[in-house]
Amino acid sequence: MNNDQAQQAPSPRALFTASLVATGVALVVLFGAILPAEFGYDPFRIGQLLGINGLSKGDEQPLEAQLLPHRSDVVEFYLEPFQSVEYKYTMDLNAPMVFSWNADGELYYDMHAEPAGLGVEYAESFEQGTAVARTGAYYAPFAGIHGWFWENRSGRDIEVRLYTSGFYDHSTVFSGSVEYDREIEPLIPDFPEPDL
Amino acid sequence: MTGNRQRPARTGLLISLVLLFVGSTALAHSIANDDANFVLGVDGPAVLPFIYLGAKHMVTGYDHLLFLVGVIFFLYRPRHVVQYVTLFALGHSITLLTGVLANWQVNAYLIDAVIGLSIVYKAFENLGGFRILPFQPDTRVAVFVFGLFHGLGLATKLQEYELADNGLITNIISFNIGVELGQILALSAIFIFLSAWRTSSSYLRHAFTTNTALMTGGFLLAGYQLAAFFLMPSYL
Repeated sequence: MNNDQAQQAPSPRALFTASLVATGVALVVLFGAILPAEFGYDPFRIGQLLGINGLSKGDEQPLEAQLLPHRSDVVEFYLEPFQSVEYKYTMDLNAPMVFSWNADGELYYDMHAEPAGLGVEYAESFEQGTAVARTGAYYAPFAGIHGWFWENRSGRDIEVRLYTSGFYDHSTVFSGSVEYDREIEPLIPDFPEPDL
Repeated sequence: MTGNRQRPARTGLLISLVLLFVGSTALAHSIANDDANFVLGVDGPAVLPFIYLGAKHMVTGYDHLLFLVGVIFFLYRPRHVVQYVTLFALGHSITLLTGVLANWQVNAYLIDAVIGLSIVYKAFENLGGFRILPFQPDTRVAVFVFGLFHGLGLATKLQEYELADNGLITNIISFNIGVELGQILALSAIFIFLSAWRTSSSYLRHAFTTNTALMTGGFLLAGYQLAAFFLMPSYL
């Protein structure tokens, strides 16, 4: 390698210039673009001038205001042997919900969602398995109905309790071939809804 | 290295450098969320997924790629490429394996800053910079030592995955194999690109500019990581 390198070897002066240019360009790009945009650090007010301050920090926003009032819901029901049921909430894209459910016996469950107006064949499942309890936080990946399918595969009655809190507007139950909207039962029934 | 062949090559390289920067939405040091979630769910040996993650890290890791461009810039024979890259692979395998197994807690930003400076070093050497210094560092030793640092960087990335103890060794070795596979893939692409460019007279004419650009890229990466080290709150 050294032959070719030697032929092309630049003078110390050119080398000095190259190093200076490399350092200079890097400093200009760092202080003029990367530091203001990525880290909101703008000692020379260049980022402010270019309007790029904090450009790439936007996705770390911890607060996300919502347009719907916040709701909570408590459900208790029994599943007979080999009976199954689905509880679903109507939620908008990105709407958050926290939930816990537990049962006094093991159930098969499937947490899933169906996009609004598209029906069962577009359903997306997020978690399936058998458990006596699950808890978690959920962000609706699309507008539609979101919730759980539970099936009692044991030989005795199992009691199920579901607690949720989040941004949904109504609750639908699918039981056998029957489908109906149920009244949401808030944890604090007389909590005033904000005027949004 | 997807320089547009219609343009002068140095412009192509500069554009590639800029695109690499703009195109990366995450810090070089962070790992994709989906991958992290996947690994979190793994308990036990998972050979192919970790090979994939290792290869992905290498192919999408522009800091490693720029260093490799610097290393093979003046290597014309595949035999030499293999020799240097073996030294580099040996170096980074040692620290990757021991770093994860011994659970070394090294700051990823500082390691990535050193990796950025390794690009500066190699570009400076390609410019013939060390001829004017009283001592002549051995390129092979330098590539091996920087391999050790690149391996530390890989180890910090792998540690961010919160690996389960079950199947740990299998998974690290799989990740390492993936890194080598990804490196072979990326190197082949870089070598083909450089070999094609070498047939044109612009190669040597622009060698000076290209290595200056490479040095700039190294300074940028180092500055970026140092900024993250000093400016990001420590709890992030």
